[in-house]
Amino acid sequence: MVRLNPSAYNKAHLLLTLVLCISSFTLTEPLETWILLIVCCATIIRFSLFMNWQKHQISLRTLNLLAILSAIVLATFGWQLGLLLGMLNLLVLASSLKLMLLASRRDYFQLISIQFFLIGTGLVFNQNIAFSLLYGALTMMLLLSLAFHISPVNTWSGQIKRTGKLCLQAVPLCIMLFLVTPKLGPMWQMPVGKGGETGLSDKVTPGDLSQLARSSDLAFRVNFDDDIPVMSERYWRALVLEDFDGKSWQVAPFRERIRQRYQRTNHIFTPRTSGPGIAYQVLSEPSKNPWLFGLDLAVTRDNTIWQGREYQLISRYPLQSGISYRVRSYTQAPLLPDVELLDRRLNLQLPEQGNPRTREWAANLRQRHDSDKAFIGAVSNYFQEQEFRYTLNPSPMPTNAMDQFLFEDRAGFCVHYAGAMAYALRLGGIPARMVTGYLGGEMRGEEYMSVYQYDAHAWVEWLSENGWQRLDPTALVSPLRLEFGLQRAVEYEDSFMQGSALSRLQQLAWVNELRMLLADMDYLWSRWILGFDRDNQEDMLKALLGEVTPLRLALAGAALVLFTALLLAIYQYKHWLVIRHSSPAYYYHKGLRLLERSDIERPRWMGPQDFNSLVQQQQPAHVARQFDKMTRCYLRSSYETRDDAEQQILKKRMRFLLAKLKKALKKKPPAKRQGF
Amino acid sequence: MQAKIQQAVNQISKVILGKEQEIKLALTCLLAGGHLLIEDLPGMGKTTLSNALARVFGLGFSRIQFTSDLLPADMLGVNIFNTQHQVFNFHPGPLFNQVVLADEINRASPKTQSALLEAMEEHQISLDGETHALPSPFFVIGTQNPEHQAGTYPLPESQLDRFLMRIQLGYPSWQAEKDMLRQPQQKEVEKLQPVISPTSLIELQQQISEVHASDDILDYILRLVTYSRESEKFPSALSPRASKALLQAARSWAMVNNRDYLIPEDVQTVLPAVAEHRLRSALAEHPAQTSLSQWLLEQVDPLAA
Repeated sequence: MVRLNPSAYNKAHLLLTLVLCISSFTLTEPLETWILLIVCCATIIRFSLFMNWQKHQISLRTLNLLAILSAIVLATFGWQLGLLLGMLNLLVLASSLKLMLLASRRDYFQLISIQFFLIGTGLVFNQNIAFSLLYGALTMMLLLSLAFHISPVNTWSGQIKRTGKLCLQAVPLCIMLFLVTPKLGPMWQMPVGKGGETGLSDKVTPGDLSQLARSSDLAFRVNFDDDIPVMSERYWRALVLEDFDGKSWQVAPFRERIRQRYQRTNHIFTPRTSGPGIAYQVLSEPSKNPWLFGLDLAVTRDNTIWQGREYQLISRYPLQSGISYRVRSYTQAPLLPDVELLDRRLNLQLPEQGNPRTREWAANLRQRHDSDKAFIGAVSNYFQEQEFRYTLNPSPMPTNAMDQFLFEDRAGFCVHYAGAMAYALRLGGIPARMVTGYLGGEMRGEEYMSVYQYDAHAWVEWLSENGWQRLDPTALVSPLRLEFGLQRAVEYEDSFMQGSALSRLQQLAWVNELRMLLADMDYLWSRWILGFDRDNQEDMLKALLGEVTPLRLALAGAALVLFTALLLAIYQYKHWLVIRHSSPAYYYHKGLRLLERSDIERPRWMGPQDFNSLVQQQQPAHVARQFDKMTRCYLRSSYETRDDAEQQILKKRMRFLLAKLKKALKKKPPAKRQGF
Repeated sequence: MQAKIQQAVNQISKVILGKEQEIKLALTCLLAGGHLLIEDLPGMGKTTLSNALARVFGLGFSRIQFTSDLLPADMLGVNIFNTQHQVFNFHPGPLFNQVVLADEINRASPKTQSALLEAMEEHQISLDGETHALPSPFFVIGTQNPEHQAGTYPLPESQLDRFLMRIQLGYPSWQAEKDMLRQPQQKEVEKLQPVISPTSLIELQQQISEVHASDDILDYILRLVTYSRESEKFPSALSPRASKALLQAARSWAMVNNRDYLIPEDVQTVLPAVAEHRLRSALAEHPAQTSLSQWLLEQVDPLAA
């Protein structure tokens, strides 16, 4: 006889497989590719078993071999992933191998619980509304799989209805837990994923930002309290790059070391501010990098954010998940260097070789112009007078990039201009540095402003007597870039979002509206669900309870429990009422329960008359007599009479008989004399 | 009326010793107007029982011994050309009797089986475009050997369904068999007197339809059939025809026990006879398993609210 494989037509197994497959593919970033391949294999194996294309499972020996091999591979390559990612990879690998093996109930339940855990893990990595909905759906699929496991013959629609009902019942509980469970701070720090980083980078080689400009991902959102600065004033500072090695600009290692020392000693920097300030809230998207965004001069009181001495904001934890923080910007306050000597020394550093033509040109210019201002003016003039062009597709500049850019190509984008300018200023003996961040931002209705990755920008700062001054050479070449954003500046160049269908789609009004709607929803999601932290919780409790005291909290908890009980009662009352009304049967069942206590239980399939004869045999006569009366009364009411009026009489009689039965049961049977 | 039934039971018990329950079930089946299938090994008294049943009801009785070469015409009758009057005259076959004993029904070819089962269902036969009504009341008592025996054509499930009940006699008890051996070598069956006249039979059947089935009983029957449909354990589930049959048989049983209302025990008593052959075609196929209907009974609580 051929034993069918347990997965043939088993919908529970198929659903489980689908969930594992989908949830693994939402984790493409933290998971290794070869593990995803194994997941695919397991899925295909399960699927073919389900469809009965394949009748037999993989033999245990093959699987063991595969398991050992993959364990070795994971051990060799996985150790540099770090604990969390390593463990996640191991978990997915193990569960896909188990899935290939799945035969017994135990395996199935193991896999189901692992899946629930994996979905929870998925929420650590992906938190936006679409993923949250997807994970919700996956959880429902798992429940559906469990339902099919328990009653395999039920129809799809019936099972879906049942699981749906269960999930709906869980919703109030879920909301309550969301609102009242204590919000803990992050308990561990997320490691940086293996994938390429989007957003800015702490090292800029001209050519890098070209790729960025084409990304339409969201960088962050801003919620202004009242005034909104004009587009050309919205320079969102993210990073200050002070180290130049002739090719790339990067954050000065020395600056980094100082910051770490200050952070260890918790030596907090309070910038001197003056003039009016604008207040706003920033909702940052996850970027795996610590730097944050603010308009100059940005000050924050948030203690998870480090106020840098070069006026940048740095999160103490990488932005693995989006965070929100409040900032106040003093746009008119000067950016005074904290330790001027240090700033000067750092920002006059020059590579010793390379770019001979630029060096010569700068030296000539410096000779002709004495004052710093005049020199800067001359450099700016050069950009304006020569035929410089703004493009997102510059030709590569492998050696002596500055020479090639300034004297041959004369085409590039913000990083090229900012890099060349800062280099030229340093050659002329003026402390200068490159600042990267975002410029602009798009208003979404009245509500908030979105800043996208394509708004990334770079500009120059030079040190004057009044502190650091902003200088944007890109503005000299392409004023449109400042006033109307990147989209207008490169309007005639199709490099903007080349290949992405977005530019074409944006022309359709409804697509645009839909995009806005989605953006709005995502905003609300991050604002209210992901951003619901301990402060919000306390605010909510305060709003509800007034002052938060343990007594009030306890009372509120009790009220909540009572409320839930009330809801349940309303839901169930019909059921209870039916039993109370339906009367004689109710008393009969009570009588059965009484008998159960004196150790005679009705087998659940037994009819009343048969049970009565059992009682007659096994119980003392005075009990049996009462029960016999009761049974007869019950038979009459449930099966014999067609008269509703009689039911009332029978009900009374049943109540009376029940009381008598109770009494009879209490009475001890006459004790037998014990002979010697 | 009850006395008459009891009398009938007593009469039959004289020839089939120690099988009161089975005799009562057989009576129940006939009172309910259903056909009866008796399945057992040869020599267990199947033929005797059916013969006795026909006699106590005082009905016309015929016996058809089914063999593999029996043709439908042998059973239904034929049209024979009357040369005197130049017309075809219908000569009714043995089927035109009130009680027909179809002995060893599974030995006949499927063609003959079908002809019989059609007659059972329709209470009439069609021959050469003419319809001939069968006498009323019309009972068929089929007997069959367990199907593992050689030279049998097992009845398909759809045809088994036509029989209201299937009962098994089983070996008699020690004492009953001893008593049987003591009996004089006489044809006891032939001495049986009719106790229930055809008219009172119709009266009884009328009374059966008046037996009260409360909502609780209907729910219990529905729970039973639904369970058989939802569980995977049963090769075939109970159809609506089966639930109707169950109710009818239970009513009849209540009547035999002198009650004009149904209690769960009625359903429980008739269920094995009514349901077993509908749940599974033959016991012989799964000899190791216990009775499916018994298992079904144990799964469903008759008193559940």
